[in-house]
Amino acid sequence: MFNWAISRFNLKAAHRTFLQRRLPLNITYLHCLGGIAFTLYLVLLLTGMLLSVYYVPSEAEAFQSVLNITREVPLGFLIRGLHKWSAHLFIVFLLLHMIRVVLHRAYRPPRELNWMAGTALLIPSFASGFTGYLLPWDQKAYWATVVGTNMATTIPVVGKYLLYFLRGEADVNGMTLVRFYSLHIIWLPLLTGLLLWAHFHMVKRQGISGGL
Amino acid sequence: MSSMGRIIKPQTASPQQTGERILDSSAHPAAEEGHIPANARREFLKSVIKKGFTLLAVLFGFVTLRFLYPAKIKEPELRYYALLPEEELPREGIKKAELTYKKNDKTITLRIFLVGHGDRQFALSSSCSHLGCLVSWSYHKNLFICPCHGGTYDIEGNVVSGPPPLPLSRLPLKVQDGKAFVGIRV
Repeated sequence: MFNWAISRFNLKAAHRTFLQRRLPLNITYLHCLGGIAFTLYLVLLLTGMLLSVYYVPSEAEAFQSVLNITREVPLGFLIRGLHKWSAHLFIVFLLLHMIRVVLHRAYRPPRELNWMAGTALLIPSFASGFTGYLLPWDQKAYWATVVGTNMATTIPVVGKYLLYFLRGEADVNGMTLVRFYSLHIIWLPLLTGLLLWAHFHMVKRQGISGGL
Repeated sequence: MSSMGRIIKPQTASPQQTGERILDSSAHPAAEEGHIPANARREFLKSVIKKGFTLLAVLFGFVTLRFLYPAKIKEPELRYYALLPEEELPREGIKKAELTYKKNDKTITLRIFLVGHGDRQFALSSSCSHLGCLVSWSYHKNLFICPCHGGTYDIEGNVVSGPPPLPLSRLPLKVQDGKAFVGIRV
């Protein structure tokens, strides 16, 4: 049945040229770094979808619901732990992948647009990390967001308004929490997915760089 | 089949000569030499990896189900609430009553009917057995009438007409120390 579905959906034919293509000889495990980061993104999506079932994005209940996930929900500690550690490792592998591309000079034409897509991916990735950090709604999360959003005020003229835009009010409070929650679970994952698609599309079309 | 044109075909030149590695196992030059199929190791590794990923997916499926299934399920238990003095129970006819109780710090008010009929007295739930709308007693027609889909019940709660599949449910009623208690599942 699996083969039937695959053949009707024509999934294999669509990817055969990609999965069975010639690769440059000097390919190494370093070329897996981006793939590992993508795998972690998938883990984050799955565990995040599960966490959103129990998480309550409200000023009064957010902290309690996170405690509930870790202590009461069956295997909740595992799902939350997976989400947390995948998030850390996602950033690590993203940067390692970036360093690899720099060292191999794989950013050079004709791949310069893909380099831009990759660097653009850093924005929703870091933003996901920053917004996700607030969601446990404990002291550390609160003050990290107070300090983090305060940085916006250092921008001349518009800084103050940018701060209000980020926080939803003058202070970090329930408005900020819901705002960050929305960004974290809808806007940023969608944006990341879109950029990833562009990134992979260009890898597919341009092939892997022959290296140094 | 224009897409087929891009599939790599087995090549006669060795991969070292072309300077490229070929991922299609049938294209490996060693396939023509040995007694052992040249891609035996590759096929073995492939199947191990496939099984590994399948195992991982199944495992994660179980984790997901366990995670989503509620940890604590409180089965509602029958509790009795004092409603009114015994002598206020109707001998013949209907008396509307409201039962107020607390559940999870929320106050819930339940409308019920106390019925005296023949020589018996009982309590009826006011929620229609069809889809749970609240029925009302029509003194004019001597029937319980559901406003939603026109289901009707007689004074004993039996269905007279309309969509309800079951009679109105009877709530346990007991008299103790001169007071009438009604039992509900909380």
